[in-house]
Amino acid sequence: MKILLILGLLLCYSFVSSSGDTTIHTNNWAVLVCTSRFWFNYRHMANTLSLYRTVKRLGIPDERIILMLADDMACNARNEYPAQVFNNENHKLNLYGDNVEVDYRGYEVTVENFLRVLTGRHENAVPRSKRLLSDEGSHILLYMTGHGGDEFLKFQDAEELQSHDLADAVKQMKEKRRFKELMIMVDTCQAATLFNQLQSPGVLAIGSSLKGENSYSHHLDSDIGVSVVDRFTYYTLAFFERLNIYDNASLNSLFRSYDPRLLMSTAYYRTDLYQPHLVELWRPFILIQLTKPSQVKSPIVRAIPRCHSINFPSTMQTSQMMS
Amino acid sequence: MEETSDRLNPGITPEFDPKTMRSTKPGLKRLFITTSVLFSFLLGVPFLWKSVEIYRSPLPFHDIDSLSDQIESTPLRFPCNFHAVFVGFPSTDPDNLRSQIQDGINQLTHQNSQCGSCNFSLSVTVQNRDDQCSETLAHSSTTCSYRCGVIKRNVFGVGVDDTVDESLNDVFSGCSEESGKVYSVVVVNKENANGGDEVKAVVGKRRHAWIVGNGLEERYGDMVARVSEIFVKVFMTGGRDEDSIQGEFMPVGSDGRIVLSFSLLNSNPRDWVYDWDFQRIDEALLAPVTKALAPIANISVESQVLYHTPKSSFSSWDKKLQSYIFRTSDLPFFVNSNEWHLDTSAGASGRSKILQFVVYIPSGKECPLLLQLPNGEISKTNGFISPMWGGVIVWNPGNCDKDSESPSRNTISPQDLEQIVEIFLGQFRQLFGFKSEAIYTSGLGTYKILPSERGFTEWELDVLSRKHTCFNLHSCSTTLGSLSRLVRSLPRMIIKDEIGEQVKYSLKAAKLAQSNASLGGYSSSASSSREARSLAENAFFHPSIMSVSYFSYEHCFAVYSPFFLPVAGHVVLAALREWRRYKQEKAKYLTWLTRKKTA
Repeated sequence: MKILLILGLLLCYSFVSSSGDTTIHTNNWAVLVCTSRFWFNYRHMANTLSLYRTVKRLGIPDERIILMLADDMACNARNEYPAQVFNNENHKLNLYGDNVEVDYRGYEVTVENFLRVLTGRHENAVPRSKRLLSDEGSHILLYMTGHGGDEFLKFQDAEELQSHDLADAVKQMKEKRRFKELMIMVDTCQAATLFNQLQSPGVLAIGSSLKGENSYSHHLDSDIGVSVVDRFTYYTLAFFERLNIYDNASLNSLFRSYDPRLLMSTAYYRTDLYQPHLVELWRPFILIQLTKPSQVKSPIVRAIPRCHSINFPSTMQTSQMMS
Repeated sequence: MEETSDRLNPGITPEFDPKTMRSTKPGLKRLFITTSVLFSFLLGVPFLWKSVEIYRSPLPFHDIDSLSDQIESTPLRFPCNFHAVFVGFPSTDPDNLRSQIQDGINQLTHQNSQCGSCNFSLSVTVQNRDDQCSETLAHSSTTCSYRCGVIKRNVFGVGVDDTVDESLNDVFSGCSEESGKVYSVVVVNKENANGGDEVKAVVGKRRHAWIVGNGLEERYGDMVARVSEIFVKVFMTGGRDEDSIQGEFMPVGSDGRIVLSFSLLNSNPRDWVYDWDFQRIDEALLAPVTKALAPIANISVESQVLYHTPKSSFSSWDKKLQSYIFRTSDLPFFVNSNEWHLDTSAGASGRSKILQFVVYIPSGKECPLLLQLPNGEISKTNGFISPMWGGVIVWNPGNCDKDSESPSRNTISPQDLEQIVEIFLGQFRQLFGFKSEAIYTSGLGTYKILPSERGFTEWELDVLSRKHTCFNLHSCSTTLGSLSRLVRSLPRMIIKDEIGEQVKYSLKAAKLAQSNASLGGYSSSASSSREARSLAENAFFHPSIMSVSYFSYEHCFAVYSPFFLPVAGHVVLAALREWRRYKQEKAKYLTWLTRKKTA
């Protein structure tokens, strides 16, 4: 049968990104890693799940999120509220609600698997949902939380991810053009030391504390019995909660929102590898990707904002209950 | 005095100090035992060394470097043959025309040899009104010579373009593969007195195009310019913008496969449910396209029907159009990935590329749903694409009233399905970088492009083959370069045989692709370049190349020293001690001997 080409217009815009290299921004990915196990590290799980929720709310779908949780707090025998994970003592928000898709769970969260996810070197049998299928136009958010120290991050209380391993993996990702821009956010003690060996361009790194400083938890939930969120993540989430998918915010405002007195550590960010866009207002890629698409046809998909209002503490002056 | 007394008493022995003398020769047994143990240890050291040796399959670093240098320095060019036929012109010097056209082409290509461009050879034939020909030939290619008088002027402008195309095909199909394909442009000068001044230019489905007009012998310069334009802008670059970003319109996965995933989305099955006979259209309409693109990618098709899949953007009611309108600003928010579970392919491996084609059936509350373009018009196709992801078509059911009782189950009619597939093919072309309009416009005029039932015309497939060969070879060489740098930077990493073999075969395929390209085999070079790229990617992404698992020297030392150091320490110390003891005893014996002698 003969088929005639339709004369009608199909939309076809081609935008050239205004950044240094010529690839366009095609999609967004998030890799969220919680590296601690045991009940007393509840807050690391809550950190990661809160960020997962935020990232989903602002538009990245499950198929482009790799969530690695090293332990199961929701169904832990010591959890008074089974199948519920909170990041605030007011218990208004259950992070472990419906629709949480964990890609790597429990003992699968190892340094080797983490590096395999980043570099893409999986066995043939690994399903697509466990792979980071980014391409050269992807913006990736990498968030890691747990216990760390000088140039290392502890995984599962048994092994370590060193800063040169991370730098090596990022270098290989850049060589293979697996990302356009990468934002690494680390919430551990001495987080900034993890970025010491990073050299690849297009990487933005944010750490919760400098060398020699600890990162503290925010408050203790006396009902659950453990601290439920870390300070750096708490203030980061407070910033994001004020946004919705149509907003347009900049990295500068995120950095300005960090108050060292409230954080009890110095939030560190490394921007020397990151080529800012030619736009005058210094726009962070992550917030662009989360809130406003850079071009018409990109598959930056958005979720419908949740029906219930976002019940995050509205004031930043929550009492600092540090026992 | 003492001597005398000694000689007088022969029974008295010389002074014997057991600390410094011994009377018997020291035995060698102890020394022999300890040194033999030490010796056996030393014998074992080479075996130990061999056993901790890292196996590294030898990679041809030199060849990899030379391949990447080659690809960087000399961009790959393919041989093409251009043939221009001027029909109905008074006898002109074809050489003159030829040089003019050549200048025109060179001007358009700006002498920049981009990868995938043509190393062309041009020949011109002029057939005058009495059907006599004069021609120039770039080289003696006898199989493709144009038989004079075959093209008749009265064919043009009379019949439909398709029949003209068919008849021209008969003329030019005699050309077999020599070095590259032959592209022909026929310029016909009609003598219609009452004909207008318009010039019609049409590009056919195979590898020829024609320009028809009246009184063209006055406008040689114009004709030459248009002919050069057809050669360069249409046949050589496919009507695409040359500055399209490399990689954005190459949706082929790194293993050379594309999975086309078709989904029919019923957004609210409580209103109506639609189904489609996908098998039929797959066999009838999609199979030819898949086959045509076989040298470029191995395409597989799968389909699914989903229910309860609302979109996540909003639409507004437009009274004038009596329908719901969504705009281009809503498009990024249209695809609702949270509820559209599209990526459930069972057939796609980790490195294939999946292109999603979605047919969205709106719910009763938003029916009919139309897309409004920025200029205010309503899109005729009601769809959009997203590069490297796929395309969406919104199909409105014919009748928007829903029964208040049970939802109706319908099947999309074959005619509607055909239309939908036509739009799909248009989107598919766009995903490969071609325009979906059937007209190419330039400063000199418009060219009508005839569409093919396989979705891509033959000259478009040639363009695709060339571009993809370039891209694949470039990607292969950068991947292999990265791999060789990585391997050289980790001297104690195990390189399996498999990796070495894949690199070897990848290099072989790349060389084959380059030689095929120089010979003019577009599709063969495309498929071997695809193979080269996929082998290189397999080698680079081999799961055994993990930096965490290679054994550094410190690691090796730390593993083996607790086993061997204590024992080796003891053995060596024992041997040394025995050796020292032997020497001491030997010295004692010698002292006693000298004492005895002097006594």
